[in-house]
Amino acid sequence: MAQFLQQMVNGLSIGSVYALMAVGYSLVYSIMNFSNFAHGGVIMFGAYFGFFAMTQLKLPFPAAFAVAFVGTAVLAVVIERIAYKPLRERNAPFLYFIISAMGASIFLENIIIATIGPTFRTYPDVFGRTSISLGSVAIGRLDLIMFVISAVCLAGLVLFIEKTKIGRAIQASAYNMKAAALMGVNTDRVVMIVFALGGMLAGIAGVFFGMKYTVYPQIGNITTKSFVAAVFGGLGSLPGAVLGSVLLGIIETLVAGYLSSQFRDLIAFVILIGVLVFRPTGIMGKTTEDKA
Amino acid sequence: MSDILQVRGLTKRFGGLAAVNEVDFNVREGGISGLIGPNGAGKTTIFNLITGVYKVTSGSVSFEGKDITDTEPYRIADIGITRTFQNIRLFKNLTVFDNVLTACHASASYNLADSLLRLPRFRREEKTLKEKALELLSILGLADRKDAIANGLPYGLQRRLEITRALALDPRLLLLDEPAAGMNPDETEQLMRLIGDIRNRFKLSVLVIEHHMDLVMGLCEHIVVLNFGQKLADGTPDAIRGDKRVVEAYLGGGE
Amino acid sequence: MSSYLEGIIMLSGINLIAVLGLSLLTGFAGLFSFGHAGFMAIGAYSAAICTTIFKLPFFVGIAAAAAAAAGASWLIGRATLRLKGDYFCIATLGFGEAIRLILDNFQGLGGARGWPGIPPHTTLVNILILDVIGVVLLANLVRSRHGRNMIAVREEELAAQVAGINTFKYKMLALVVSAAYAGVAGALLGHYMTFIQPKMFSMVKSTELTIIVIFGGLGSISGSVLGAVVLTFLPELLRAVDKWRLVVYGLAVIGIMIGRPRGLMGGFELTPKSVRAHFARLREAKAARADQAAEEKGGL
Repeated sequence: MAQFLQQMVNGLSIGSVYALMAVGYSLVYSIMNFSNFAHGGVIMFGAYFGFFAMTQLKLPFPAAFAVAFVGTAVLAVVIERIAYKPLRERNAPFLYFIISAMGASIFLENIIIATIGPTFRTYPDVFGRTSISLGSVAIGRLDLIMFVISAVCLAGLVLFIEKTKIGRAIQASAYNMKAAALMGVNTDRVVMIVFALGGMLAGIAGVFFGMKYTVYPQIGNITTKSFVAAVFGGLGSLPGAVLGSVLLGIIETLVAGYLSSQFRDLIAFVILIGVLVFRPTGIMGKTTEDKA
Repeated sequence: MSDILQVRGLTKRFGGLAAVNEVDFNVREGGISGLIGPNGAGKTTIFNLITGVYKVTSGSVSFEGKDITDTEPYRIADIGITRTFQNIRLFKNLTVFDNVLTACHASASYNLADSLLRLPRFRREEKTLKEKALELLSILGLADRKDAIANGLPYGLQRRLEITRALALDPRLLLLDEPAAGMNPDETEQLMRLIGDIRNRFKLSVLVIEHHMDLVMGLCEHIVVLNFGQKLADGTPDAIRGDKRVVEAYLGGGE
Repeated sequence: MSSYLEGIIMLSGINLIAVLGLSLLTGFAGLFSFGHAGFMAIGAYSAAICTTIFKLPFFVGIAAAAAAAAGASWLIGRATLRLKGDYFCIATLGFGEAIRLILDNFQGLGGARGWPGIPPHTTLVNILILDVIGVVLLANLVRSRHGRNMIAVREEELAAQVAGINTFKYKMLALVVSAAYAGVAGALLGHYMTFIQPKMFSMVKSTELTIIVIFGGLGSISGSVLGAVVLTFLPELLRAVDKWRLVVYGLAVIGIMIGRPRGLMGGFELTPKSVRAHFARLREAKAARADQAAEEKGGL
């Protein structure tokens, strides 16, 4: 029982970081209706920003953390301006967006390999390896901090979307971009803010992944899990993305703990196939009809 | 004259909102009928329900006496109904000829092996398809534009091409969604004549959604008026013109 | 011919088959796949099982590779092609990664260390024969009603449906044929290298195939042929700057989508007829310009 609880806690912690990725991805998907496959590249840059801010600029963790998420927010917006905006403006087919995203993703990964190199780098040990005991459950300090910060960020995002004017504009655009534009919403600005938000969350996730594992150019491939989590929860639904991510994190940790760590990565795809076959709308998704 | 299409109690709800509510009407065989009403009255939704693009909430659609409610869109053409769209949907990057040729596919029966190996049946039927596409283009006056890219055509000709493509499927009922939208009076006049000619030449029935009152009144033998998803009236152009409710809701409403 | 040059020619011939398949899926049917390397992996391992374990002739291995890859793609298509949204795309991504992970962990076929000792059945001759067959079959397919229906799905799905085209069926057809091509390419690759390893079929391989299709031009078979040859040779010639290659490719892909989305060939097919027609158009345009100039002069 103690072991089970321990796994649950670990799963919850990693799941909350998946949620940061998946929410950023779903946010963009809900507005633009295409999968931003460059999201992984942004996460990877977040990990490097944080790493170099701490090791080269010798910044303390909170400052390095801020550098990372501001940097990725800017990066995500720049990618949108260069790779997607021209396509948006001429109403290009979704295929072109996906291909452009693939191009951006290849560029981001390989510019790091070409300039910084493919080596794995380890974050400085900020939080130590000590853990906090709660009864029979021991929680690593990093895991606890990851969970708390992720939860705060997600709560902040919900407040932003629910309570602010621009948040309501985002909701309207997600419902129907054209109609929102007709009602006077500046959709170009909405897209920019959505990319900035997604980029910010991606940067935070990147720093955490870098701290938990290591930093390397392919770390962005971990976003595959956010796609799975988003489909699991219901493609395009933000609460679904959070739920899907947390469940995925818990299931992965349980599988690694009780079966074999080799199946850890495979389970995500087993879930993906299961969802696609039995409930393609995911846990919280609903079917939509195209307006003809 | 019998009815080719019968719509009974047709209802479509999006969430709680009824876009179309308990609508009944018939389309006469060989006739030109009109579907009119203010914006948001549910006209296009009715087309989408007939052609299976939307699932019906309740009610039924029958065509030539057979129930076709909720048939998949791609089967509707086989059954004998084709349509055009309010916001023209051509195969934009293809030539005019290829737009029509693609739609002629239903007239051929060669299979995948015939295609891959260019067997005699493929060659024979492909020749027939190409002749058919060319013939349609010349009837509709698009033959001299056949190699132009669809997207580059002037607006009026794009509408015409969309109608040609719909005719390539040999429909018995043609649904036209605001065919005169964006046209000047001259073009509208031409279009009216074209629709009449098509009906006579291809021996089909037409149901047209239209905002241009001149076009509807001049062309249609039977008119159905919708308002807020419900049928307001239905009858001959003269009867509609004299109907007080219609005048209030629509004709008098500044349109 | 030096064996080095022959090696590159063979590799580009093998790549070409996979690229042709992907060209059908992405260029003609408008579907995007991240998982084509996964279909190649299925082909490579199926063929190797046939020839190495069951000692069957190579052509049986190739046929099995095509069938196995096609079968796998059919399952993915069945689950996702009816759904609106990016489900298909995400599923191919998941599939490609899952195949690699499964093969990594399956010790019976060598696991992550790979599987050596596959007979060297692939020759320049059988590659070229399969290339020619591949191009001819694909060209025949896209210029038939089946191919036109796929193109219609790419162009405007709703219009295709109301024009009586079963869009699900034609997407599936494009996917299955495309996967079969990838399977054959995988079989050839395995019997050329005489060694297969799951990491040969990573997502990088899938994206490289897509890059070739995009460079050659969406909807152009001759573009895909040209792309496969040029982009297999190029890295060999540019070994010195290899690490910048993918950086440039990434930027170029974005550039193509923004500036010339139909790729270098832009849907243009290089056939004797099309070349003649192109020159005829140029002559006409020149004549028209001359006429116009004359008219303007006369008007002054």
